Amino acid sequence: MEANSRGKKKGILLTYGIILIIVMIFCLTVGPAKITFKAALALLWAKIPGVGRLVSIDQYPSTYLTIIYDVRMPRIILAALVGGALAAVGTTFQGLFKNPMADPYIIGVSSGAALGATIAMVAGFSKIAGVWALPIAAFSGAILTTVLVYQIARVGNKLPIFNLLLSGVALSSFMTAIMSFLMILNSRELSQIIYWTLGSFSGRDWSQVQVAAPIILLGIGVLWFFARELNAMLFGEETARHLGIDPEKVKKILLVVAATTVAGAVAVSGTIGFVGLIVPHTIRLLTGPDHRILLPGAVLAGSIFMVATDTFAKVALSPTEIPVGIITAIFGGPFFIYLLRKGKTGVF
Amino acid sequence: MSTHLAMEKLAFRYGAHQVLKELSLKVERGVFLAIVGPNGSGKSTLLKNLSAVLTPAKGKVFLDGEDLYRIGPKALAKKLAVVPQDTTVQFPFTVEEVVLMGRMPHQERFQGDTEKDFKIVQQSMERTNTWHLRERNITELSGGERQRVIVARALAQEPQILLLDEPTAHLDLQHQMELLNLLQGLKNEGQVTILAVFHDLNLAAQFSEFVILLHQGKIYASGTPAEVLTPANLAAVYGMEVVVIPNELTGRFNIIPVALTDIGATAAAKKKFHLICGGGTGNFLMEQLVQQGHQVSCGVLNIGDSDWSKAKALGLPLAEEMPFAGIQEESYKKNWGLLLGAQGIIVLPIPFGPGNIGNLRQALEAHRLGKKVILVGEIDGRDFTNGAAAAFYQELIKGGAKKVFQTFELLPLLREF
Repeated sequence: MEANSRGKKKGILLTYGIILIIVMIFCLTVGPAKITFKAALALLWAKIPGVGRLVSIDQYPSTYLTIIYDVRMPRIILAALVGGALAAVGTTFQGLFKNPMADPYIIGVSSGAALGATIAMVAGFSKIAGVWALPIAAFSGAILTTVLVYQIARVGNKLPIFNLLLSGVALSSFMTAIMSFLMILNSRELSQIIYWTLGSFSGRDWSQVQVAAPIILLGIGVLWFFARELNAMLFGEETARHLGIDPEKVKKILLVVAATTVAGAVAVSGTIGFVGLIVPHTIRLLTGPDHRILLPGAVLAGSIFMVATDTFAKVALSPTEIPVGIITAIFGGPFFIYLLRKGKTGVF
Repeated sequence: MSTHLAMEKLAFRYGAHQVLKELSLKVERGVFLAIVGPNGSGKSTLLKNLSAVLTPAKGKVFLDGEDLYRIGPKALAKKLAVVPQDTTVQFPFTVEEVVLMGRMPHQERFQGDTEKDFKIVQQSMERTNTWHLRERNITELSGGERQRVIVARALAQEPQILLLDEPTAHLDLQHQMELLNLLQGLKNEGQVTILAVFHDLNLAAQFSEFVILLHQGKIYASGTPAEVLTPANLAAVYGMEVVVIPNELTGRFNIIPVALTDIGATAAAKKKFHLICGGGTGNFLMEQLVQQGHQVSCGVLNIGDSDWSKAKALGLPLAEEMPFAGIQEESYKKNWGLLLGAQGIIVLPIPFGPGNIGNLRQALEAHRLGKKVILVGEIDGRDFTNGAAAAFYQELIKGGAKKVFQTFELLPLLREF
């Protein structure tokens, strides 16, 4: 029976992986230029070293290669990375805080990033740093907030979880207030700021992927390595200690890694909501609470969800793009409510 | 035997509140030690210090001679497992997943669960009678089932020392016995040292080899259950009068709470009581009065009667008579002397016939001389003297003798003598 249930769980991961790849390829075909699924496959295959020569892509216009590789693919990969990062951190925080309301932004990362981005926009940093002004400002804001929250919550050598939650909430409100104040003073940048906080992958290219990918992949990897510790932490810190874990150490590592991962995601995409809250819950219903399966499952599902919603956001009102954060909430909310009603035996 | 766990002047405080006050104790390898004491005496805090969840303000703990607080969490978890008091789990892990967590200290970071892990998990679950629950969610189990799962998890750690905080609190009678027998089995076969906090003194008395009695953060008494769980110790620590009665079924003893103690009052007031009993009616009371330090006499008892045996065993002065003979003047005379020497006379619910009615007459005469008399039970149904006994009874009550229905109701009254 154990082998079966473990096999079943590995099957879940494999299924999600395959769905993710199919969704990503499908989304390569969606856009103003009509590229078929077959063409997309062929163009991808042609780029694989060694076997690439086996297919001919001569019948497709050369602009197709540019559209697929330089326009759509980086955006899709970035969406997958950000979706995975938000889901991984959401899962981690829900486990760490033992709180179903926890999401990646619970300790104030989003408001810190948003404040950083707002300051950058208001002060016109882009004149100095160009396209990197916003990501750098947002990332710095997020990390700075985490450090502040950590320092406020810390009691000596210990990091009580409730302190962390409360100081996160308090600092978030404080920074959101400052951001709102700046917005009122600078109404010219108002719509730009709002657009940023809703999150978008519009106009992103490989350079953002190159910056975000190492941070996010490394972050997700580390969080996954701590899956077993996280499982034990669900039983409370005392039990975790009894099972041979140093809870204080685990909390600090997870906090730093999770915050950095989210900061990396927020820097390139803005503060996309809901993904990091509902994806972990949804996947927990399917896999159970074991983080060794739950975390990678949530990462893959987060990626799928984000790629799909971003593509929808891109084409729904084409040529106008809807900020993807609106779409995640519009689709995610009702779906999650449906799941809640269906499986009322305790999501969390 | 060697010392497994040693505490040296262990002190702990929550803020200004000193919870543990310089406890020192050596625990031999492979013993079953019970930790008892009233609420707030520091039992749980002691366990938390011993499991390194809390670090003491002062003092040391040595595990196999090694400073416990210098052993890393993982290394410690291989040696020492804990069954906490609160075992509620919010997350729907399967029972098997929960027990597998007990293998964590033995696993490397990138290592999955091995066949060996699964084998040990299965053994642990079979021993705790939880194997059939393995696919259930732990959130769906009853408190008792969950408790046994958590014990299985602790066993999966393959510990040399097992700490349990009120392990039987959520268990029904059958599972209490199962768990305690399991613990005894572990101890006997595997040299596992067991430290368990108990609220139930009877379980501590029945299953442990050694007991420490905590009182206000100090060890009030330590030793074998018979040495520690004495009426005097328990009266001092719990403020309760208890009776300790040998339990022939277990070869140990039972502790029965009787009444709240006015601490200090009982010690000062040792009294003399005379019991008119027979047929086992006085058995309990004799034992108890003697334990409380009172002087007890009985009469007139038939030789060979169970109360007679008890009185003899306790070495009590008594007036005796050959059975089936009717009580002779000689014996009544001796009884009268005992009656006059006592401060209180207790008449237990024995049947009265022509052969022993003299006992009741003597009680009435003594009562007229000012002796206090307490009657236990109604006279109805045990008067075989054509109303003579009932008449004495009525006269006693009219004269101010107290009447109670059950023997145990007597105990608070005795202080009034």
